[in-house]
Amino acid sequence: MECSVTVREIIKRFTFIEIFQGMALTLRKMFSHAVTIQYPKERRHIAPGYRGQHALAKNQAGQAKCVGCGLCATICPSQCIHISRAKGQVDKYEIDILRCIYCGFCVEACPYGAVVLTENYEYSDYKKENIYMKKDKLLSNWDKYMPGKKGEEYFNKFWRPLSEDFGTPPGQAVYKGKKE
Amino acid sequence: MDINNIISPELLDAFIKFGINLLIIILKIVIVLAIGLLHVAYATYFERKVIGHMQVRLGPMRVGWHGLLQPFADGLKLFFKEDLVPANADKVVFYIAPIIFMAASMVNLSVIPFSYSFTIADFKISPVIADINIGLLFIFAMAGIGVYGIFIAGWASNSKYAFLGGIRSAAQVISYEIAMGLSLVGVMIMAGSLNLTDIVRAQEESVFGMFAIPQIVGFVIFTIAAVAETNRTPFDMPEAESELVAGYFTEYSGFRFALFFLGEYIAMIIMASMATICFLGGWTIPWYIKVVPFIKYVPGIVWFLMKVYAFFFFFYWIRATLPRYRYDQVMGIGWKILIPVALANILVTGLVKIIITTLNGV
Repeated sequence: MECSVTVREIIKRFTFIEIFQGMALTLRKMFSHAVTIQYPKERRHIAPGYRGQHALAKNQAGQAKCVGCGLCATICPSQCIHISRAKGQVDKYEIDILRCIYCGFCVEACPYGAVVLTENYEYSDYKKENIYMKKDKLLSNWDKYMPGKKGEEYFNKFWRPLSEDFGTPPGQAVYKGKKE
Repeated sequence: MDINNIISPELLDAFIKFGINLLIIILKIVIVLAIGLLHVAYATYFERKVIGHMQVRLGPMRVGWHGLLQPFADGLKLFFKEDLVPANADKVVFYIAPIIFMAASMVNLSVIPFSYSFTIADFKISPVIADINIGLLFIFAMAGIGVYGIFIAGWASNSKYAFLGGIRSAAQVISYEIAMGLSLVGVMIMAGSLNLTDIVRAQEESVFGMFAIPQIVGFVIFTIAAVAETNRTPFDMPEAESELVAGYFTEYSGFRFALFFLGEYIAMIIMASMATICFLGGWTIPWYIKVVPFIKYVPGIVWFLMKVYAFFFFFYWIRATLPRYRYDQVMGIGWKILIPVALANILVTGLVKIIITTLNGV
């Protein structure tokens, strides 16, 4: 038994069977289609719901939907959203994109559908300041990457809040005042 | 004034003949060097292309159509790179090393015959620069000198990685040179000559048409040793990227690196040509293929280049397929397997040769 194994081993070694098998594989692969995507000319297909650069959504009238409630900043795991309110207005809405991990929690948390992740992924820059997103830049991103109906549809399809109207469900028992 | 008064017509004739012969040799050198360097450039291109496709990539695609101008872009880049010399390097030796290495491999181009000899206006031109009788030995000797280039480079760099690469290269090339020389002894016995042109001629007249068939053992040993001699995967110990950065030329940059690169690829061309000449029949085709009509009108150089390219493709193919051997395995294969098998091959070849000649004598 042992002898037959060694004989087989010897034959294997001296006929280079395994090497030839490997070479047959590489030759086969040589005539297969390359998987390379030649980036600037060809682009990877972006799947729907892609989480790319951030944008602040606008309503039909062209005003920012954001009310500055701060839920997104609260849930953000990397704490990269900075919001402050002044005089009943959203004074500051900044996202430090270099810290963002693109988890999408902010979009999920927002009750007004005001923040969204667009399909844009090409925004590398040589300066840190250019990547630090301020409010006006985030708003212009909405016009740039979510123009017209696209924004609404995209948002509704993938990032819709669990409920559209935030009232009480009809089956819920509610206090309707004291019985006379 | 008559020119015959100054110099006799015979002498003038001899001078003219000498001049023309000199011109022919210079022309040959220029042509061989130009074509050799062009082959080096495109050998790198096709290496990247072939290995790329074998790894399901594309290889160079950007410079020119399908990256065809990539070798020139690379060459330009190497020209304009800074020429660094390590502070504690042995300067003179550091400068000489790449020149030794490249010259040693380039000189080999002069003894490689490429095709049938032809005649132009009474001048018989053989397509080889130096048709010497010890062509085979000359190539071995030059390969031996090339090791000095590598070893000196490793030593002069004053860097541990370069030094290790140099030592490994010296050990490896010396061990595999023995196996390669012994594998070619079978060819020498069969051809009865060391002249490369004669070896090809002997193959054309032989029964099999090429020595690769009766000398299959020698051919396999030669192929393995050739891969090891040119320091290519799976025997690229001297430049093992994962262990030694880049091996013996770690400290070289710019044009000096280019010289090493050039030398390495010319050594590849030499090895492919050697395999073609000694085993695959050079520019001739076996008689059983000559039966095909019209095939005899194909010029010999085409067959020669096709065989060389096939061998080159084999180099690339092997590189894309096999991982690197461990260092002790490389030495083990060389000393414990290849050399004994090559010796046995010599013995059998010699015996068969003696038996055949005795039978023919009787």
